[in-house]
This record gives sequence, structure tokens and C-alpha cells, in this order.
Amino acid sequence: MRVPGARTRTHTPNWPTRCPGISSLTMDPECSQLLPALCAVLADPRQPMADDTCLEKLLDWFKTITEAGSSLLLLQENPCLVELLCHMLKPQDLSSRVLSFSLRLTGVLAAQEDCFQYLQQGELLPKLFGEAGPLGGAAWTSPAVRSGWIQGLRSLAQHASALHFLAHCGAVDTIFSLQEDSSLFVASAAGQLLVHILGLSMQGPAGGPPSLQAGDWPACAQKIVGHIEESLRATATPQITQALNVLTTTFGHCHNPWTQVLWVQLSPLVAGLLEKDPIPAAHSLVDLLLSVARSPGLSSSSCGLWETLAQTLSHLSPTQAGPLALGILKLQDCPQALRAQAFAVLLQPLACVFKAMAQDPGPSGVPDGTVGGSMTAGVPLPSKAACVGLLCRSLAHLELLLPLPQRPCPWPQAPLLGAAVTLLQLCGGSARPACDMGRHLCTLLLGCVRVQRAALDFLGALSDGTGPRELVTQVFAVLLEYLRSPDSSPTVLKKAFQATFRWLLNSPKTPGCWDLDPHALLFLRDLLPVLQKRLCSPCWEVRDSSLEFLTQMTRHWGGQAGFRHALLASEVPKLTEQLLRDPESYVRASAVTAMGQLSSQGLCVPPAGPEHQGGQQKSLLVELLHILSTDSEGFPRRAVMQVFTQWLRDSHADVAGDTEQFVAGVLQVASQDLDWEVRAQGLELALVFLEQTLGQPRSHCPHAVTPPVEAPVGPLAQALQPLCRVRLFDFAFRALFDCDRPVAQKSCDLLLFLRAQTASSSSLQESRSSPDVASVEAALQRWQAGDQAQPLGDLEPEVVLAVVRSLDLEGLRGALAESSDHVEKSPQSLLQDMLATVGVLGENEADCY
Amino acid sequence: MPEIRVTPLGAGQDVGRSCILVSIAGKNVMLDCGMHMGFNDDRRFPDFSYITRNGRLTDFLDCVIISHFHLDHCGALPYFSEMVGYDGPIYMTHPTQAICPILLEDYRKIAVDKKGEANFFTSQMIKDCMKKVVAVHLHQTVQVDDELEIKAYYAGHVLGAAMFQIKVGSESVVYTGDYNMTPDRHLGAAWIDKCRPNLLITESTYATTIRDSKRCRERDFLKKVHEAVEHGGKVLIPVFALGRAQELCILLETFWERMNLKAPIYFSTGLTEKANHYYKLFITWTNQKIRKTFVQRNMFEFKHIKAFDRAFADNPGPMVVFATPGMLHAGQSLQIFRKWAGNEKNMVIMPGYCVQGTVGHKILSGQRKLEMEGRQVLEVKMQVEYMSFSAHADAKGIMQLVGQAEPESVLLVHGEAKKMEFLKQKIEQEFRVNCYMPANGETVTLPTSPSIPVGISLGLLKREMAQGLLPDAKKPRLLHGTLIMKDSNFRLVSSEQALKELGLAEHQLRFTCRVHLHDPRKEQETAMRVYSHLKSVLKDHCVQHLPDGSVTVESILIQAAAHSEDPGTKVLLVSWTYQDEELGSYLTSLLKKGLPQAPS
Repeated sequence: MRVPGARTRTHTPNWPTRCPGISSLTMDPECSQLLPALCAVLADPRQPMADDTCLEKLLDWFKTITEAGSSLLLLQENPCLVELLCHMLKPQDLSSRVLSFSLRLTGVLAAQEDCFQYLQQGELLPKLFGEAGPLGGAAWTSPAVRSGWIQGLRSLAQHASALHFLAHCGAVDTIFSLQEDSSLFVASAAGQLLVHILGLSMQGPAGGPPSLQAGDWPACAQKIVGHIEESLRATATPQITQALNVLTTTFGHCHNPWTQVLWVQLSPLVAGLLEKDPIPAAHSLVDLLLSVARSPGLSSSSCGLWETLAQTLSHLSPTQAGPLALGILKLQDCPQALRAQAFAVLLQPLACVFKAMAQDPGPSGVPDGTVGGSMTAGVPLPSKAACVGLLCRSLAHLELLLPLPQRPCPWPQAPLLGAAVTLLQLCGGSARPACDMGRHLCTLLLGCVRVQRAALDFLGALSDGTGPRELVTQVFAVLLEYLRSPDSSPTVLKKAFQATFRWLLNSPKTPGCWDLDPHALLFLRDLLPVLQKRLCSPCWEVRDSSLEFLTQMTRHWGGQAGFRHALLASEVPKLTEQLLRDPESYVRASAVTAMGQLSSQGLCVPPAGPEHQGGQQKSLLVELLHILSTDSEGFPRRAVMQVFTQWLRDSHADVAGDTEQFVAGVLQVASQDLDWEVRAQGLELALVFLEQTLGQPRSHCPHAVTPPVEAPVGPLAQALQPLCRVRLFDFAFRALFDCDRPVAQKSCDLLLFLRAQTASSSSLQESRSSPDVASVEAALQRWQAGDQAQPLGDLEPEVVLAVVRSLDLEGLRGALAESSDHVEKSPQSLLQDMLATVGVLGENEADCY
Repeated sequence: MPEIRVTPLGAGQDVGRSCILVSIAGKNVMLDCGMHMGFNDDRRFPDFSYITRNGRLTDFLDCVIISHFHLDHCGALPYFSEMVGYDGPIYMTHPTQAICPILLEDYRKIAVDKKGEANFFTSQMIKDCMKKVVAVHLHQTVQVDDELEIKAYYAGHVLGAAMFQIKVGSESVVYTGDYNMTPDRHLGAAWIDKCRPNLLITESTYATTIRDSKRCRERDFLKKVHEAVEHGGKVLIPVFALGRAQELCILLETFWERMNLKAPIYFSTGLTEKANHYYKLFITWTNQKIRKTFVQRNMFEFKHIKAFDRAFADNPGPMVVFATPGMLHAGQSLQIFRKWAGNEKNMVIMPGYCVQGTVGHKILSGQRKLEMEGRQVLEVKMQVEYMSFSAHADAKGIMQLVGQAEPESVLLVHGEAKKMEFLKQKIEQEFRVNCYMPANGETVTLPTSPSIPVGISLGLLKREMAQGLLPDAKKPRLLHGTLIMKDSNFRLVSSEQALKELGLAEHQLRFTCRVHLHDPRKEQETAMRVYSHLKSVLKDHCVQHLPDGSVTVESILIQAAAHSEDPGTKVLLVSWTYQDEELGSYLTSLLKKGLPQAPS
């Protein structure tokens, strides 16, 4: 008897023989047979479609087919499709979803010019997309139909014939009007379509370069540009916004020389917007200017772009100018003066904070009134909402700028640090403002979580640079203040922990030494009691963030004497151990990870003496095994498996004592777990053990070819003995047919690795016919059929190798690489489902839950 | 003009991924952040690019509110917060906060298990997302910032489901999420006070349906399970980890107890303990009966329902198994289904909706020969039953809620266009309010009349009271005072107090008017005639004739003078202060009519 997947067979009957995805590339006969019935259902207004995803998926399928082959052929071979489209022209109570689908399908088909001509012959296109079609009917009130109309045209507009059609059927005017559609989706798509048509018409009929004289441009392009000009002159902001958005997309997507001509023609109108008060569509204006500035097709200096940018910066409100300033600073080449102006805009709110907080204008580097303009010249930060919004935006923009190579140089690290610290002090209530404006700011910002979050993120990002010792001390002090404060919200605390870790990581180090510097160690001594307190927080988010912070710290400094001493002198390890029994599963999982890390670094040891070491470690192993066997939730069990795998990799003292017993115990529990991720991690641990046993570390790529072990059979069999003893193969073979396919895949990788490692041991051939092998293969067959009750019993290495060689693991791996529901998701299945739902829809079909 | 704007990104004329943007008095709130399980690419999430184009998400949105833990309401949340980049507050009730990550994790596992799922969030992302959540209690007013406040109301539907009132100043919107107006076996009915919001955004899943009694469906369910088990069959109930499963567990547990049945019931995911834990923890969210009996016996401590082991599926004899996932699209439930499908004694009961592309969808649409991997065909001989236990308000329930909340306008979401159309007409007819049903991407704009709160000084109020006119909410009346706008506050005080507070000197403003009278007599005589006339007409007022010849009525001064050109005409100069504006106008009109003839 052979296993179903035996190599001697050409095909594995239980796995797909079709190449992945092949069925979706061409229309197979089964689908062709089903299609007429489906088209008839779609054309029947009495048959509603229950699942709105079906038509989307159907269209996806048609797109795939037409991308791979001829649309014309598709239509000729499946006349029902044209019939369906013709049916849409009849006046009837059609579903808007089906009508929308038909319009989109028409566009997809007509994207190929020969198919376009074919559809034109029957005048189907003007009837569907012209005035005679849905455009003039009641169906047009449905946004789905309008959206389908636009998307259909978007797909169709791929060639000169399409352009000619669009120009002559009046579609462009309709698109103009759809820019103002009540549906955001339709309006946006209309704008995108205009950009596409403009680009297409500028390609010219012969594909040659268009004229650089705007007056000589094709009529369609001139019409669109004329519409944009008209919109830019309009008084209504929505119209201006649409025009600006169309231009933004144009300059973002098209970098041909004609775009420069377009900008030269339109820039006076754009600049004219700056003279209006208030500036209309400021957000879109900023997007457009940045899009133009980034466009490689435009020579910025010759178009007066820099002047426009500078003018815009000074005209916009601080809130509106922020994104523009950031965009300017991200540009690769831009005049220094403009960069300075942009940077000043970003710094302005912080300068204002300095001004409010100090008698003097603030540390050098942050602009004062001379650069900062009106804000620092006496206009206070207005309402609380505006002030908070402005500060948060400014901090976020600066944070984004910080890691960029093109950030301003010199970078005002110290003033920015000071500003971040000051802001945090203002929010935390520890600031002592000297003037009225400072006191006002203090009132506005006190307890403001939004600013706290933004400032902590920014402060963390600033840790990559240095700062004067005094300021760094202030940084640590304010971080400690936040970590200590009972008023800090869990999100703020998490950010405070993250910022603290980043500052500790980047604190100055003694050359050649990775330990924390004395100042950081002093800070650590203050920090640990705070951490202790936070580990006991009633809020699970806080306990969890604290544990994550502890794990990070231990990973980095667990081997350093100063850190070890401080940690061991604290209650932190003990509290962490207690959190293994936390009621919240996330916390238990984080505690497992933290304890695993502490234990790896020997930090679970009580300071009393080394004699307790063994017992303490032992109990942790037992505790973790207990969690693995009994915890009702997956997170802690998965965390345990990760810790165990790491311990095995690192030859952790407790594991190294009796590795076999450890692995056997863990695999026994993991293989029974209901959570497939735990089972998959069990196989990962098995793989590590396998590598260690065979003495061949696996390549990082599980499928890479590794040189086989050149070893005689005897030692190899001997080497495999421990693997058999821990019942690794029992687990792996069973997992091969696991109902959760990542587990099966992992097992497949493990067995493939084993086979590659033992490929040269040819003397095991004779084992293939032994009764043991036959019984294992029979068991595997039953397992594959779903009957997993029967155990394999004790396996001998020879039998294992023989079975591994007889399995078609490559075939299995190929089959497992597909989605488990690929059959249900196939086009044929989709058509069957759509047909099957006809007539069986109940009254309450729409209840998702 | 102040306005409320509502744009559904999902749930606008569909039942998919709920995600509704509300802009109210300058605050932007996202209501729900759901996922569509019918797609396995980015289309499963709402198209957030329509928000990100407004700048940074965290700056644009003031908060996100999640109504309940179902994935079509919260499934996109980790994607939104950890992948799209929203870093602001997320509000939900305590039970939703506890259960939401379980369902998200459950779905993530299925997505990874199935493979081919692109751009999906990780376990760590779910946790990081949940750490941004601020949990709220029912009826607790939570201050998101100085201006925006939210309040949760009980919605039934599932454990922890809530309706939310969003309020900025005097403008408010209520979002129902999914709700149920009739109590079921473990939850109570939705309730909201007469909060009279400007807009009520309500789900409308069963917009045209009057649902039969849930008891009937329960009886039907129990009967079917019982019959199958009696005939030695195995019953598979595919469920999602938490929610409906617990309701069905209670149902079966009670029935098994009552009928003294012995066939084992299993729950496959090891989630019984967890579910038990949460239902115990949130016992106050369950219905009255469960709360009452909790002391004697906790309904969620199941005697008959045991944890499932994979090997049990092969055991002979009848059994009932609850297995995940709920749509038979991967994992344990699908594996058991394959094993049991061939036996006509067995039964699968689908207690909820299945999207296309799943085995659940296939069998519900009546397909009995299913193609499996390797072109194998699985013949489904087992009985297939669909029993919707979804707990949504039906048409009657929706109307009842509208009646309860008394909104100025209604907006329908989470339903099908045709059904919504029907309900919209019904609401408009019955309640005489506007009802909207925007499609996804469509914005509904509602103008609002802002009511600005004004504080009134005690002094002014006392003075008014002293005049003997008691305040009556139903009869608005005129009150004079000075409005002081200071530090974004409005106060109405007496003029004297205003002058004092603001350190201003008082100036008197008098209105004047000239009235021409034909009277050849001397000025003094004319004044005397005026006095006599007014004295007789204005009996309640103090009319005086002063020594200088002028006449006063309260603060109104009347002086007679000769006309410069016509000696037969006298000019009456009338002047009064703003306090006597009414009387002054009256007097002028009276004098313009002329004086009564003097007795000869």
C-alpha cells in the first residue's frame, strides 16, 4: 500500500492538478456553459443579486480574461455577453447594480480597439454611454449607475477611437458636470477621468509628441483646459477645488513637456487665488503647488514656481501653510531662502511657545518675531482647539522631517528639544510661566492628551540627535514626570515608555562599552520604582506597555552589570513573574515574553544566592509549560512557544540539561493545541531541534537547496533516534494533513529539509518495503482521509526516512501554496453560486450577523 | 450657516462595512470602522483615501466610535489605526473593548490560514489598536474634548452593543449601530431617552419586515437539533467565536437539561471559558432574567457543553458541535463538515449569513455537489438548515425608536436601498420629519439653528420676578438686558451691572418725534389740552403737567411749540427713552390722530 501522495504517481488525486490561476486567465468550457444562464439572470429585473460582491468579482474575472486575451474573441465566443449589454438598453426596471456592472463591463471589453469597433458597429456604445442610455433615464439618479458610467469610460478610454467617441458623444460635458456630483466617489472618479482623457488626447493620434503651443492642442484637450480655466476663475470654492484636484493629478501622473506649457498657461490663474481673502480651497492649492514642484517635467525656476510658493507660504494661515512648508522642505532642490521661509513656518508655533514661556526670545535657532511673522509679533495662539491643532501639526511635521537627509542644516536640535520639553511641562502642569501669555498657554494646554502624545512622539524622534547635557537631563526628568504622573493616560504612558527607551538607547556611551552611562544608570534607579508601580496598574494597557518596555530594556542591557544590579535590586522581576497569572491574556503573553527574556539573561534569580538558581529556573519552565497546557487563550500559549524556541536556539541552561525531555514535553502539548499558530510554532521548535540534532543549520529560505549530510547510514540512524524518541515525526506526519494549511505547510518544509539532509543515505532503500513502512503509510492515508484518531506508535529512523522519501512533498507544497478556498473562489464556482442563489433568496438575506 | 454633514463610506444603502463620517459643529467623528468579509483585497475595508486627502488623519478626526464588536462594524479598526495611521482616541463600551480583539484575532487567524489574503493586520497591531481604546459606561457622558461629548445607550443586539449620542454644544446626532427593540434570551431591548437629536442615524436591515417571534425560531431550532440527535445524527453549527454562539449555547443547555438529553455538545475553539468569563464580567449588560438568576446559577456555566477535541469528530453516535469559522470557509468547521456531509442523518445549521466564496454560501443556496480540491466532488447528503438569529430591530422597532428619541431628522444606513425607500416614506409620513438615505460617498447636509447658551445674572432675573411675572417654559417673553460677550461666554445682565463691570459711563439715548397739531391756541393751552387728553386715556400711567408747561408720561416728554410759518399749527415735540419705546410709539400715534374737540 502506498500513501496517496507517493512520488511514483504522476498526480496526487487529492490536490489540484490545474496550474494555479490558470482557470482565471482563459474562459474554460464549464464557465462558457454557465455564462448564458447567468447573463439571462442578470438581465431579469425580477432576480435580485443577494451578495453585492458577486458582480465585483465577476468583473474582476472579466478584467483578468481581457488582460490575457482578445476581448473580441470573448464576445464572439460568448454572444450572451452582447445580448446582456443590449438588454440594458431596453426600458425596464433594471437593478442599478446590474446596470452599473454592464457599463463597467462594456468599458473593460471596449478597451481593446477591435472590440471597441465591434461594439460600435452595433451602436451599442453611444446607446449605453450617450444621451439615449441611462444618462437620460431614471436610473441616472443612482450613484452606482453614474459611477459605473464613469468607470466604464475610464476603462474604455485607451485608444484614439475611444477619444474620438468621447469627443463626439458629449461625454466630456457630462464628466464636467459629474465633478460636482453629490457622491464623493463619483465626483472624484470624474476628476480622475478628466485627467486620463487629457493625457490620452495629448498623446496625439499618431502617438507623436504634441505641439508645445497650447493653441495647437487637440480640441478635446483645449476643451478640458478651458473648463479648468473657467473653474479657476469661478467664485464657488467647490469648482476651484475640482480644478485644482484635476491639475494636481495631472502633474503628479504626467511628466511630458506639455505639462510645462499647461502650467505656464494656468499659473497666473492659480497665483490669482492667493489674492482672494480667504484663499479658496487652500488644501487643494497646496497639493497642486507641491505636485508641480515635484514634477520632473517642469523646470521650476523658469515657471516662477518658487515665487508662487513663497507667496503662498506667506498668504496662508499657519494651519494651512504647515503641509506646504513640509512639502517644500522635502523637495530635493529648492532655493535656500524658500527653505528657510518654510522651516520658519514649521517652527512658528514652537517659537510662539518659547515666546510665551520666556522673557528672552528663546534659545537661538528657533525663529523669533523677525522670521516668525505675525504669530510671535503679538498675536496669541487663539482658541484652545486652534492652538492644540497647530501645535500637533507642527510637531508631526517636524517629526516627519527629522529623519530625512534633506532636513534643514544646521538642525536646531537643542531649541527643539527645549520646545518639546517645555510643551510637555505645560501639558503636565510643571511649567512655571513668567508672563500672562505663558499662563494663558498653560491654561490651554494643561492635561491636553493630544499635545502630550504628539510631543512625546517628537521627543522620542529627537533622541537620534544629541543635546546639551543640561537639556538631556531635563528630557529624562520630564519623561520620568510623565511615567510617574497618575494623570497620564494609558496611550500617553505607552508613548512615554517608547520615548524613554529611545533616549536610553541613544544616551551617550563610554567608547567601547555598551553599558548605560552613569547618568542613564542614575535615571534607571528612579525609573525602576515607577516601572514597579506601573506593573501593578489596574489598567491592562499600562501593565502591558510596562512589560513591553521591560522586555526591550532587558534585551538591550540584560548583560550589562549596571542594569542587572539595578533590576535585581528591584521588585520588577518578581512582579513580572506574578503577571504570568494576570486576568488579561495580552498581559499574560507579554509577561511570558518578558520572563523568557529575563530568564535568558539570568535575571530571574533572586539576589539571595546562586544556590536558588536552578530551582527558580526550573519553576519558570514548569510555569510556562503549565501556561502552554492550560491557558484558555492563544496569545500566552504562542508567547510560550516563542520563548521555548528561543531557549532551544540559545541552548538555555534549563533546556540544555535535558533537551530531549524538554522537546518531547513541549511537542506533546503543542501538537494537541486547538490554536493552529501554536501547532505551527511547535513545528518551528521541532525544526530547530532537527537542525541541532543533524548539526546542519537550515538555510534562511526553507526551500533552498542544502548540501546533504555525507554520512553513513549507521550514524544517521543514530542521529535520528532522538527525534524519534521525542515523537517529532508523529507530530510532523499528522501535521502534514492538518486542517489549517499553514501547519501543513510548515510540516512539509520540515520534512523536505530532513529529506534534503539525508538524500545521500541510499542504503536505507531496502526499508521501503518493510511492514512498518506500510503501516505508517496506511495510517497517513487514513489521516489524509480525515481519520486522525489512530496514533502511529513508535517509529524507527529507517521507517521515517523511507516514508519521507515516498511522499510527494513537492507536490503537496505546491498544493498548499494555494489559498484553502481557491476552489470556492474560482470563476466557475462564482458563476455556480450566482446561479444557485436565484430564487432561493429569503426575506432577510441581508443580515450580515 | 451651521450644519451637520454625514457621509457614509460604508453602510450607505448597503449592508457591508459600516463606516460613517459625521461632521458636527466643526468636529469630525467616524462612526464604526467595519470590514466586508466578502472581499479578500483592500476592498474589504472602507476607502479611507477620502479622509486622508483632508490632511493627517489624527488632525482631521476628533474620534472614532465603535458601536459593537461585529466585524462589519469594527473589522477595519486595526488597519485604520495601525496601517493607515490614525492615532487618536477610539471609543467603545467595556464589553466591546473586551470582545472586539477576540473576534479580530479570530478573523486574522482565518485570513492567514486561508492564505492569499493581502495587506492584513497582525496580532500585535490588534493589541496596539486596542490600547488606543477608551472604554465607556452606559449613560456616562464622556468629554472627548472641551466641546465634543458622547454618551452610550443600551442597544441589545449583542453583548456590549451601544447607540451613541454625539453632542457639540446644542447640536447632537444619535447613531444606533445595530440594535434590537425586543429582548432575547440573553439580552434586553434597546432604549434611548427623549433626547431630541438633530439627526438620528439608524440601521435599517429589516426596514420592511415585521419579524416573527424569536421564540418560534428558537423552538424550530431546538426541534431540528433534537430530531437529528434522536435519529443518531451529528449536528454541526458553524459559528464565529463569540456572540450568537453563546445565545445558542444557552438555548441548547437549557433544553438538554429540561429534556434530560445525553448526547454530548462540544464547542470547538476552547472559547467557552472565555465567553463564560466575559458574560460573567458583563452580567449587567445581559437581560433581566439572566441577572436575576445569576445568584443561584450562572447561565453561562454550561453543564452539558464541553470543549471539543479534534478526535471527537470520529466518535460514533450523535453529538452537537459548535465550530468556527461561521461561514465554513476554512479550519475546523470546514473539516468537520467534510467528514459529516455524506451522511443524511447528520445536519448542519447555519445560524447566520454567509458571503459568496464560502462553502456556507454554497450549501445555503442549495448546492449539494461541491467541488473540493483535486477536482474531487463532495456530495452533501446531510440536512442543511438556515436559521437567522440575527437580532436587528424590525420595521416596527425602528419606528418605535424614532418615536422614543424624537429626532428632527432621520438618516437610514445599513440596509438595502429599496427597503430603505419604503421605510423612509413611512417615517416621513408618520413623524413629519425629513428622512435621508445616502448611498456610500454621498453627503447629506443638514442646516442647524445653533442655540447659544446665555447665562443670565441673578439680579436681572430677580428684578423680572419682582415684576410678578413667573417664568413659564411654554410662554417666551421679552426680557431687556445687556449681552456681554467675554471669554467665549455670553451673559445677560442689567444695564447698570454691565456699565459697572465694563467701567463705562452711561449715555442716554432718547427717541424724538414731531407731531403737527392744528390748534390756533397758545402753546400753554395746547399743552394743557394734551395733558387732559392723555390723562383721560392713559389711566394706568403717571401723566404729569410740569410747571414749565411740558407734559410727561413716565419717561416721555411732550412739549408744545408754535409753528414758525403757520400760527394756526402747533408742533408737539415728543421724546422718550428706549425703555419706554412701546409707550412712546403708542403716544405718538395717539397724538397724530389729533386732540378731542375742546368744550366750547
